[in-house]
Amino acid sequence: MPLRQTTIQRAERSFILWMLAPATILMLSLTLVPFLVSVYLSFTDYSLTAPETINWVGLKNYSDLLSSADFWDAARITTIFTIVAVGIETVLGVGIAALLHHEVRQAPWLRVIYLLPMAITPIAATFTFRLMFNPTQGVLNHLLGLAGVSPSAWTAAPETALLSLILVDVWQWTPFILLIVMGGMAALPPEPEEASQMDGAGPFRTFFLVTLPRLKPYLALALLFRLIDAFKTFDIIFVLTGGGPGVATRTLNLLAYKYGIEFLSMGYASALAIVMLVFTLVAGQVFLRRLGLFDLKD
Amino acid sequence: MNREIRLSRRQLMAGAAATAFGLAVAPRLSFAQTAEEARAGFAGADVDWMAFKGESLTVEAMTHPWSAAIEPILPLFTEITGISVKLNTQSETEYTSQMPIKLGAKAAEPDVMMIHALGQFVSAGWAEPLDAYYADKALFDAAWYDQDDIFAMARDFPAQADGQNYSMSITAEAQTLFANKAMLGEAGLAVPTTMDELLATALKLKTDTVAGIAMRAKSDSSAGPWTCGGFVFSYGGEIIDGEGRCVLDSDAAVAGVEMYGRLLREAGPIGVGNYHWYEALNDFSSGAAALGCDSSNFATDISNPEKSLVAADAVYAALPRAGEHPIKPNIWAWQAGINAYSKKKKAAFLLLSFLNSGPGCLLSAASGLATVRNSAWKSEAFQKRFGAEASAAALLNLNSGDARIFKAAWFHKKSSEILDPFAVAINQVVTGQADARAALAAATTKINAALKG
Repeated sequence: MPLRQTTIQRAERSFILWMLAPATILMLSLTLVPFLVSVYLSFTDYSLTAPETINWVGLKNYSDLLSSADFWDAARITTIFTIVAVGIETVLGVGIAALLHHEVRQAPWLRVIYLLPMAITPIAATFTFRLMFNPTQGVLNHLLGLAGVSPSAWTAAPETALLSLILVDVWQWTPFILLIVMGGMAALPPEPEEASQMDGAGPFRTFFLVTLPRLKPYLALALLFRLIDAFKTFDIIFVLTGGGPGVATRTLNLLAYKYGIEFLSMGYASALAIVMLVFTLVAGQVFLRRLGLFDLKD
Repeated sequence: MNREIRLSRRQLMAGAAATAFGLAVAPRLSFAQTAEEARAGFAGADVDWMAFKGESLTVEAMTHPWSAAIEPILPLFTEITGISVKLNTQSETEYTSQMPIKLGAKAAEPDVMMIHALGQFVSAGWAEPLDAYYADKALFDAAWYDQDDIFAMARDFPAQADGQNYSMSITAEAQTLFANKAMLGEAGLAVPTTMDELLATALKLKTDTVAGIAMRAKSDSSAGPWTCGGFVFSYGGEIIDGEGRCVLDSDAAVAGVEMYGRLLREAGPIGVGNYHWYEALNDFSSGAAALGCDSSNFATDISNPEKSLVAADAVYAALPRAGEHPIKPNIWAWQAGINAYSKKKKAAFLLLSFLNSGPGCLLSAASGLATVRNSAWKSEAFQKRFGAEASAAALLNLNSGDARIFKAAWFHKKSSEILDPFAVAINQVVTGQADARAALAAATTKINAALKG
């Protein structure tokens, strides 16, 4: 009997492995292999203009990168963009979720309206914003004019370019935070809030002291996704500013594009991509551990 | 004696319909007529056009006047050679980012391609050397092809340091000044002929709703450097000198960029820091800018009343002079070549020489394309589409351009690493982030470091 059981178990295991094999091979070839190739390339001087001569350069790409002013400038811009955009999205997302939590039962279509920006193709939304930001023919300056405010150059001025990009990101991704927080609120039992209100706490006090702490796991998830995504933002910046004016909006991703696709220095661009990956992993871990936001036991 | 003309609604409608039909059909009639002439022209070549009958070629190109102009000619090529051709077009951004990856992977397609960075394509081995094909008498009839009919700058552009030609020039463009004569007239001003006059005129014409001048300034290697390059050259500067060093920090280059920056900072449209050529063209064509300075090819759109509100008011002139320096507007000749990994190189050469031959250029010129041949520029069909004044100004500017100083930067194998810091510097000057000397000093350091690396 035990022998027969073992045979059956082995057959089952073999069957499971065979069934998983296609998906595993596909996943490995689409993710792990390109990643390993990138890691290898980051230690070489590989350039698409001289594909026959790949030389091993060790850590040179990394040392060049970390001693380059362009890299640190781009890292600073990326950090500002990520923190400010995700910060505003979180405040707005949580705020709107709190307001909508009770209202959506009466008007469920409100939820659809708030989620629309996230459903629109990012590139289409970005091109629409490009028209809206147009300093001479765009609707934003027209509205400013109606309010008696002088027109802004928006994405074309170094003072306002990054803010304009943050505005687009906030418009597009606040609904993501909103969706997750609203889901979290719907899943939470209402008794603690009811008890708090019976004890005489007002709606603000109840929200900040009772509801918000219980939303921590949901918020952590939303923030983690958004921070990683905002850190990698490319489409909005590429279409609206291309990294300009000057280098005022040249983020790490734009810099990697510049070195990889324009300068064709694949070794250097790979090193930059690996540094970005390491930075994202480390920052994600620090975020989760330090803030303890992902402690599901709470 | 004034005679009042009254038209009934029916007469008006009939007139409008006839005009619309005429406008729609006239270019086609002219093209058909030219096609007949071209068919006879191709028959005069001592080339075995049918040598590769049955083959099929792929052409990869940007969405560009060249691809638009050759599209209607390709059926004639198929008729004469028996070779079918598939033309793929993409936006410039897509094309420039996709082609290096495709060619880096040694893809056999496309067979014929537009080349946006010749130095890069040659050093990477992506562009097939063409001299052996030119020497092949079965493929190429030199007497019939008549190289002398091609502009000198266009002949000079494909030649590389090793003496080989890796491409063919397919268009000829020169930096040209555009002015709205109605706006100039209202202000009692003439078309500026010096840089100082250009600045003074642009400043006088600037109002709250109209920019004095619109030019490219976006922080992008394909934007500001080309137009600002003409200013640098006309002030006596260079980007890359004869010894291969970047010299953008020279006094002459600084003066050129400073003038370019002042023009746009003080007389340019709001938001000019994000202007590429299409924004500049749009502003001038819609009457939102009184002056413009960009490619001579813009004349096709500016003088087309269907695309431009200033078709009747636009005048074209030489780039203004800077002090005693010779005028050196920037020039450009788009290139097309054969993919070095193509399996059908001879058929591909046949297509390129067909399109760039005298009859081929006559056909594409009939669609308004600024080809590389004198005969095509002089043709009636081209003069009608491009405008006689615009073509005269473009020819003047083409002959003033200096192919050597252009090629030193734009056809360098590291052209992207040269033009990107230059574009950033121009943008910083235009948007007031830095003065010309500081911005160009930083760009020069960066470019020289990249050239050494």
